[in-house]
Amino acid sequence: MKKLLAVLLALTMLFAFAACGGEKTQTNAPEAADGYTILLEKGEDMKNTYSLIACNPDKLVDINVEGANAFIEWMTSSEAAALIAEYGKQQYGQALFYLIDEAFSQEEYVAPTASDNKVIRISTTTSVNDSGLLPYLIPTFESKTGYTVEVQSAGTGAAIQKAKDGNADLILVHAKASEEEFVNEGYGVERIPFMYNYFVIVGPESDPAGIRDCANAAAAFAKIAESKSTFISRGDDSGTHKAELKIWGENVPNAENDTWYISAGQGMGACISMAKQMNGYCLTDKATFLSMAE
Amino acid sequence: MLMSMDKELLQIIGVTLRMSFFSTLISCLIGMPLGVLLGKSRFKGKGTIIKLTGTFMGLPPVVAGLIVYMLFSKNGIFGSLGLLFTVEVMVIAQCMLIIPVVINLTHSITSVNASPLLETAKGLNFSKGKTALLMLTENKTALFSVVLTAFGRSIAEVGAVSLVGGNIQWKTRVMTTAIMLETNKGNFSFALALGIILLLISLTVNVIASFAVKEDKR
Repeated sequence: MKKLLAVLLALTMLFAFAACGGEKTQTNAPEAADGYTILLEKGEDMKNTYSLIACNPDKLVDINVEGANAFIEWMTSSEAAALIAEYGKQQYGQALFYLIDEAFSQEEYVAPTASDNKVIRISTTTSVNDSGLLPYLIPTFESKTGYTVEVQSAGTGAAIQKAKDGNADLILVHAKASEEEFVNEGYGVERIPFMYNYFVIVGPESDPAGIRDCANAAAAFAKIAESKSTFISRGDDSGTHKAELKIWGENVPNAENDTWYISAGQGMGACISMAKQMNGYCLTDKATFLSMAE
Repeated sequence: MLMSMDKELLQIIGVTLRMSFFSTLISCLIGMPLGVLLGKSRFKGKGTIIKLTGTFMGLPPVVAGLIVYMLFSKNGIFGSLGLLFTVEVMVIAQCMLIIPVVINLTHSITSVNASPLLETAKGLNFSKGKTALLMLTENKTALFSVVLTAFGRSIAEVGAVSLVGGNIQWKTRVMTTAIMLETNKGNFSFALALGIILLLISLTVNVIASFAVKEDKR
């Protein structure tokens, strides 16, 4: 009993500590949590494009082709466009995703008659699902068409692999090279880039490497490497990890020898938490960071 | 594929063994004496304690990890120690999970033949410490499986160690978190291969352990 009480006591104290910490940050900028903030955004090398790809029924068995097409058609309709453009404004005071206009149809959306198979399986990345975008869009689609959408979210690598194994009808991911490979190998029908946002570099407000005024992410990374400031990498082949590697280019640090470069091999949320704990920098999609700063 | 990451794989196996060994050692050093104490003595509230250890045997690893994570976070009670994301803190989280198991199992093993042993000890006029030692040595084989259970639990655990260890490459990555990572990457077959290696390590440890017990019996 004493043990249980001790644990409970410890937990209560912790929550109390956490609550105190939370209150302090409310007086700071709304984006900041524990003096941790977005230091660099909208560098031209930080663009992050999301695509929809229907799985190819000629290569994979038991694909709900009608369902996948119905979903893609709706996602690129003017109705979805309005919803996506609005997303985030209410909660964070800014849009989290921007539209790629060419992808969107101007015509009035006509709901198709649902096929016999009413379940659509989407394999997507954590940034789209955990940021709340899909849970926000899907109910409208479902009520309009009578389909049921099952969302599986994982890193882009696993998301694509699940589709290759025949466990999805379409994918919604953000890693151009892997997407093109997916289509070229015959698994996907067509790559439809439809929205984008920007990666951001987050870090402690004190900004030990001085990256605030950098023109782009590559310059910021160079400063981080030069000052050997802690940097947390996803290290998990996800879309964000691939984007990070692209920014490093040839100068990618060696996790074995460069101890300031932490290859965490975990999801975005876990990496941001680690970065906060270690006072380090991290490349993240804005949506996930903002949803965690709450 | 396995060959290409030889050096890193060896390092991961090293961390895994180090973590599992110390988790098992510390858990047994703390848990076994407490278990024997519970096995040999009768007092009010004993039932509650046993039920409590039984309950904590079902403690989800992630919850244990979360508690340890919060304790060792920057704004946690032990935050100033700077132990978060180290092998040490992984061992602490593991101990939290394993100690209840060791206490509970040691208790149920030693309580079976407690009364005849206690009588013998009384007849021989043994001290309290010597009595406990007698109970431990008399149940050697059964207690050995407790050690192996503890080792098995610690080597197979993933939720707590990924949370408090951070799965950092070249530092706190262990076999289970490496498997998790490869699964997340979509390298399902490689993840499975790592799983087989983990089983082989476990098998090796078990074989060595059973030899040790046999040697001892002679």
